[in-house]
Amino acid sequence: MTEISKVVLDIADLHAWYGESKALHGMNFEIREGELVTLLGRNGAGKTTALRCIMGLVRKKTGAITYRGDNLAARAPEIIARRGIAYCPEERGIFSSLSVAENLELPPVIAKGGMTVDEILELFPNLKARWQSPGTKLSGGEQQMLAIGRILRTGAKLLIFDEPTEGLAPVIVKQIAVVLEKLKARGFTILLVEQNFRFAAKLADRHFVVDHGKVVERFSRDELAGNEAKIQAYLGV
Amino acid sequence: MAMMDLIGVPPALLFGQLLVGLINGSFYAMMSLGVAIIFGMLRIGNFVHGAQYMLGAFGAWYLMRLPELFPGLGLPSIGYWWALVIVPLVVAVIGALMERIFIRRVYDLDHAYGLLLTVGLAMAIEGAFNVYYGAAGQMYGVPDTLKGGINLGFMFLPIYRAWVIAVAIVVCFGTWYVVERTKLGSYLRAATENPDLVRAFGINVPRLLMLTYAFGVGLAGFAGVMAAPIYQVSPQMGQGIIITIFAVVVIGGMGSIFGAIVSGLMLGVIEGLTKVFYPQASSTVIFIIMALVLIFRPAGLFGKETTSHSVADVSSGRSGSFLENGRLWLAIFAIGGGLLPFVIYPVMGMKILVLALFALAYNLIFGYVGLLAFGHAAFYGASSYVTAHAAAAWGLPTELCILLGVSVATAIGVLFGWLAIRRQGLYFAMITLALAQIIYFYAVQAPWTHGEDGIQSVPRGTLFGLIDLSNTLNMYYVTLVVFLVGFAFVYRIIHSPFGQTLKSIRENEPRAISLGYSTDRFKLIAFTLSAMLSGVAGGLKAIIFQLASLADVFFMTSADVLLMTLIGGVGTLLGPVVGAAVLVTLQRELATLGAWVVVVQGAIFVLCVLFLRKGIVGTLEEFLSNRAERKAQKGVKTTEAVAKTEAAQ
Repeated sequence: MTEISKVVLDIADLHAWYGESKALHGMNFEIREGELVTLLGRNGAGKTTALRCIMGLVRKKTGAITYRGDNLAARAPEIIARRGIAYCPEERGIFSSLSVAENLELPPVIAKGGMTVDEILELFPNLKARWQSPGTKLSGGEQQMLAIGRILRTGAKLLIFDEPTEGLAPVIVKQIAVVLEKLKARGFTILLVEQNFRFAAKLADRHFVVDHGKVVERFSRDELAGNEAKIQAYLGV
Repeated sequence: MAMMDLIGVPPALLFGQLLVGLINGSFYAMMSLGVAIIFGMLRIGNFVHGAQYMLGAFGAWYLMRLPELFPGLGLPSIGYWWALVIVPLVVAVIGALMERIFIRRVYDLDHAYGLLLTVGLAMAIEGAFNVYYGAAGQMYGVPDTLKGGINLGFMFLPIYRAWVIAVAIVVCFGTWYVVERTKLGSYLRAATENPDLVRAFGINVPRLLMLTYAFGVGLAGFAGVMAAPIYQVSPQMGQGIIITIFAVVVIGGMGSIFGAIVSGLMLGVIEGLTKVFYPQASSTVIFIIMALVLIFRPAGLFGKETTSHSVADVSSGRSGSFLENGRLWLAIFAIGGGLLPFVIYPVMGMKILVLALFALAYNLIFGYVGLLAFGHAAFYGASSYVTAHAAAAWGLPTELCILLGVSVATAIGVLFGWLAIRRQGLYFAMITLALAQIIYFYAVQAPWTHGEDGIQSVPRGTLFGLIDLSNTLNMYYVTLVVFLVGFAFVYRIIHSPFGQTLKSIRENEPRAISLGYSTDRFKLIAFTLSAMLSGVAGGLKAIIFQLASLADVFFMTSADVLLMTLIGGVGTLLGPVVGAAVLVTLQRELATLGAWVVVVQGAIFVLCVLFLRKGIVGTLEEFLSNRAERKAQKGVKTTEAVAKTEAAQ
């Protein structure tokens, strides 16, 4: 990025608990307008928990989650969504009792400027043929497309994706990469949680490495080259 | 017509009953639709639905009688048509308030608590109406515009009845359309599957839940207004129907809206036809069909196979605590029980002991296996009747009478258990409740049970031909011995490898299965043992009080035993005993309140679910364990401090 744009979402000293066990230990990161950033890390590092905190789905938490100047930490999920954040959960969250059409049209439009159904179907032509089938009758890749397409209609400006490539064939992963690039070009700000570093490396402006419930390293796109070994060490098995 | 003559039934009777069946079926459909929607969205088995239906009928009746109720205000009498609009709305608002104040608090808890909470609410509401209106029904006329009827040639069709059927069908399928085919419906369906995600899309799910509850309840209110001109408006009108509705929902397939509607209508008709061809079975036919459906299609006629819900982890006992020390408490009960008749009336002591035994039996299945059984009145009552009959009519020795009663209770336990363990959680409760109704209606109808009178003046006889039980103290000490044996038996079961397996099923059934346990067999054995012990309590009760009556098999008895276990502490050794003592004392103290007792009992139910889920013993246990922990921590700190000072020196 040549010019520093303004911070859209700022996570400061975020701690979170599931019952007695602590999942986040003082997480800090921020996203600027129009950026695509990733949270990288192993299973259990706290990436998904961070997203669930942002969406208000984790109740037991401390710290500040500031979105366009507004602290979201105490807000209900439905209010957070209406501030302009759209969430694509891990494992896609497709509803089996809803058709493809109903799944796609489920999230209410919260602001102007969302994509139309036609535009979304242009992005994911596969969905058109399956329009009336039950959502979970689709293949994994199609379900992921549906899950991504579903949150583009609402007019939200910040999109959050939780491991959109998980368990998908390489061809489809490539297709999703193309879509994410298109979305970025359209002006969406994107927060992406990934374990697949090679997928993320090409897309993101900045990377945050998450380990043991906090951000332990941050790299911009330009800094990646020299630090790959370090990142692999964090992600490696 | 020739065909009719062949089966020997006059066509007028056949069509008449068919119509009655369709009418009943219309109400079943409207009611079970509401229950199914509420269950689908909120995962609450809305037992208070019957009371809400009753509120609807009373609402219409109140509006009609406004001038008489408030003579000073000069209010007009509001008739049927306006009632049809106003009352469902008012009942829906009451429903929304109930959701806000009570039901919302138990969403995150096991399903059992939702059912218990609504049972308590139903008792309180119906009890309060009972105080003011008693058992007598109030009349509500058919509106003028719908009076009269049409002669169809083979039968006379009253217009109001045709109207009820038509409206019910429109309302039901309208609701079905909204849920299955509209945007709002898609929110509801999605929220049923994954409420968190739907919230994260910006939909106010808590409000959606409240509105859904209000709608379901409003539907019950609507059905109540529709019912007012047909049935009598009485406080009991909802009590009978709710258990039938639960059975209809199980038959249709839990959560299936279409299933609820179709099964409701169909079962009404089947019930009507049974009245023609085999009237004795007409009140039980729905429950028998439910049993058959469970054997052949456990998920219900229109239900999809749902993943089994986790069983309730409701235990609050802590192993190693002195409160769980069976030998200690056996000794305390033996000594305390021995002295009790010198402190309180022996009859009251016996009542406590018998109910404590019953609650111990119940705790075995609810507390230690985590299955919310809601039909234990069947075992208790069946044994009570059989024992009483054997003693009064056949003059058998007392011990043999009780043995017969226990055998019958055990046999019923095997059968009901075999049927019910196919489902878990709330289903289990609804199924056991419905099955128990078969026994209840049998007792209502069978000649040997003497209906409302029950079997009276049962001779106590002599035990083993030696101990004269007509002597109250003798009777008391025999009861005490039976109680102590029962207590030791239960303690032995829960501390055996078998009992450990039961607890493992309660905590994590899939894991128990994966370890190679045939959990269904364990559940069935536990259920049977529980039924057997309930039978001991029931038989003993018949001998002590020299009476077996409908109250023994009535579902309130199932609710009572549940309440005792809950008050005392589910899954604790002492809980049932404490609960029985508390409830008996309470009922005695409140006896002066008359009909208010039920209201108070309902309120206790609600308060226990909201604030005292661990019960008296469980709460005490928690307090003791916290204190022990604090002490232990203090101990560590002191030793650390000592170590530090020593090091400093």
